[in-house]
Amino acid sequence: MAVMTAPENTPVWVDTARCKACDICVDACPAGVLSMQAEPTSTLGAMISVIAPDSCIGCNECELSCPDFAIYVADKKEFKFAKLTANSKARQEAIANNGFRLPTDYKEAN
Amino acid sequence: MAFNYDQYLRVDKMPTLWCWGCGDGVILKSFIRAVDKLGINKDDMCVVSGIGCSGRFSSYVDFNTVHTTHGRTVAYATGIKLANPDKHVVCVAGDGDALAIGGNHTIHGCRRNIDITMIIINNFIYGLTNSQTSPTTPQGMWTVSQKAGNIDPTFDTCKLAIASGASFVARENVTSPKKLEKVIVQALQHKGFALVEALSNCHINLGRKNKMLSAMQNLDWIDSITVSKKKYDTLSPEEQLNLLPTGVLHQDTEVAEYCDMYAEIQKVHQGQRGKITQDDFEKKI
Amino acid sequence: MSATREVISTGNDLAARAAVDAGCMFFGGYPLTPSSEVMHTISDLLPKVGGTAIQMEDEIAGICCVIGAAMSGVRALTATSGPGVSLKAENLGLAQMAEVPLVLVNVMRGGPSTGLPTRVSQGDIKQASNPSHGDYRSITLCAGNLAECYTETVRAFNLADRFMQPVIVLLDETIGHMHGKADLPTVEEVKAGIVPRKTFDGAPEDYKPYACGPTEPAVLNPMFKGYRYHYTGLHHDAMGFPTEEIETCRKLIQRLEDKVMAHQDEIELNEEFMMDDLTGEEGEVLIIAYGSVSLAAKEAIRHLRAEGIKAGLFRPITIWPSPAKKIAEHTSKIKNVLVVELNIRQYTEEIERASGRLDIEGLYKVNGRAISPYEIVEKVKEVF
Repeated sequence: MAVMTAPENTPVWVDTARCKACDICVDACPAGVLSMQAEPTSTLGAMISVIAPDSCIGCNECELSCPDFAIYVADKKEFKFAKLTANSKARQEAIANNGFRLPTDYKEAN
Repeated sequence: MAFNYDQYLRVDKMPTLWCWGCGDGVILKSFIRAVDKLGINKDDMCVVSGIGCSGRFSSYVDFNTVHTTHGRTVAYATGIKLANPDKHVVCVAGDGDALAIGGNHTIHGCRRNIDITMIIINNFIYGLTNSQTSPTTPQGMWTVSQKAGNIDPTFDTCKLAIASGASFVARENVTSPKKLEKVIVQALQHKGFALVEALSNCHINLGRKNKMLSAMQNLDWIDSITVSKKKYDTLSPEEQLNLLPTGVLHQDTEVAEYCDMYAEIQKVHQGQRGKITQDDFEKKI
Repeated sequence: MSATREVISTGNDLAARAAVDAGCMFFGGYPLTPSSEVMHTISDLLPKVGGTAIQMEDEIAGICCVIGAAMSGVRALTATSGPGVSLKAENLGLAQMAEVPLVLVNVMRGGPSTGLPTRVSQGDIKQASNPSHGDYRSITLCAGNLAECYTETVRAFNLADRFMQPVIVLLDETIGHMHGKADLPTVEEVKAGIVPRKTFDGAPEDYKPYACGPTEPAVLNPMFKGYRYHYTGLHHDAMGFPTEEIETCRKLIQRLEDKVMAHQDEIELNEEFMMDDLTGEEGEVLIIAYGSVSLAAKEAIRHLRAEGIKAGLFRPITIWPSPAKKIAEHTSKIKNVLVVELNIRQYTEEIERASGRLDIEGLYKVNGRAISPYEIVEKVKEVF
């Protein structure tokens, strides 16, 4: 299989040169790991950002749904993925309800 | 390990010219994973694409690639395959390319059962040229060539392919990329004409004026009109009317493949066997 | 080529045999009167030598599969008539643009449209010059006798590979269906004369198929051999990928023109029949004709000379690009020029352009019947 090694200690990483800010990966993530952020120099004024890597459960939905080769997920052997928590789900809901951007005043429940 | 698509891409062509969120990229990735899974050598693969957004597919993959005229992928591919029967030849065409202008060639590729894999990327519209009606655009939707609402009835791509004689027919969505990858693997392995209809989202053109402006809305709509074949077979005709079954819809490994039959023709002319007669075939009409 | 083998056959049949002898390994086509016999014959010849002949579902599929096979690296042929060329036009354009070599035999019949399917014409001359839209240079040959149905088809394959584009071989229905004796070169001689397309032998990473000199054709390696590149009908760069860059586009189209016109000497072929003693004196007659009409013209010239009229025939064998310089040279010398063709002035207009003269006489027929030597003799006497 054509494989690539993940960067050290990284569950999910992005290639911002290829990302078109379509929001699909942010919508697909169950765990609030990803968010769009304002980026004035990009075509849609936004760019993908990994905001909560520690919440990543390694489900690979972001990579599978990305049309632009812009997001990659490590292997179980390369990273110890988290479990899905209520916190993560709540963050994801907030992101999805805010145009796929984490609200600036978002507070993590503990 | 993360899949290294770059090994199969012409990386200097990235990013793709497709719109943000266009499902064509998901299909491209599924195809690459399928090719890799089968260990196909890059030099043994030829990808032939048509005209349209899906037509750009061939320029992104590091194989022998051909970008043909509108509707003619199967005809070009037939020549490439017959001249090189031991190589993989894959057609990639959109719904308009394969079913409108190219309908005849698609039908005859199926009929001949020549060992070609055809991926029809159905996004239910003419996307590249900005929203004209295609043979799969649902009736009643807005298109730029029928702004009062589309009155054209639609094809069922897979039914057409089965009726035309394709020996492997499958349908999957871009919302199920692993399933899509699986049917592409099966299609590539299948000896005979293997048609995979990949339902894709064109939220920029189809979706824009049909209440599906975001990729997610368009993808949700695709999910809403598809159901697994297993479930589909249990539904009533009324329920089936507005749904498309997904999965492998037809597979027959007993049908003679065209290149194999042509090899027999060569044997006849080289004096290695007697003429081909009706007795060589089960179907006699 | 020296003619040392006598074969009795028809024009269509000879064209098919020539293709196979010249190394053609793929035929794709569709039945169209009066060309179908090319397909019938070659569908028996090709599988015998391990090649492939396929009757496709329509004319367009016929040319497309041929282009596909040629793209993959084999010599490929199709055969049709006027209506088929009309249908194939778009894809002929792709073959021109992507620089794919192939041979198209057009056995001309009465047109336009369905016309006269079983009767002769030379009505596809203009079409052959520009079957498809856009700018490119057609290479078109016309067989003027049975032997040329063979030798011109052989030459067409070598020209197609040399210039990396389609080459049209025109037969008219009379010659296509004519049955008689042809003196042909041996198969060994034909095989020894095969000049295949140029290929690149260096490292794949150094290969740039469309990076060639301004008067040179693309160098397109066969598929599946380690050299991966892209074919497209769009304007394209050195690797074959689509581009709209200003200079690249300009140079590409200009090169499609110049690769042919800068080497016309390699393409031009004419016959000058009984022209040696035409010096430009009063009363001399120059007849210009091609295809089956040239056979009648030659007979007419023998009659005229028997009656004391010094007549000669200039017969272009390469129709396009036209032998403009030779036409200008002869028509500036000889006052009485008569063009005889089975169409209305299609090549006459090219002769007018090349000669600068608007007083060229013509004998035209478009009702599907041949022009007899007698008619040509009478016309000469009438107008000169």
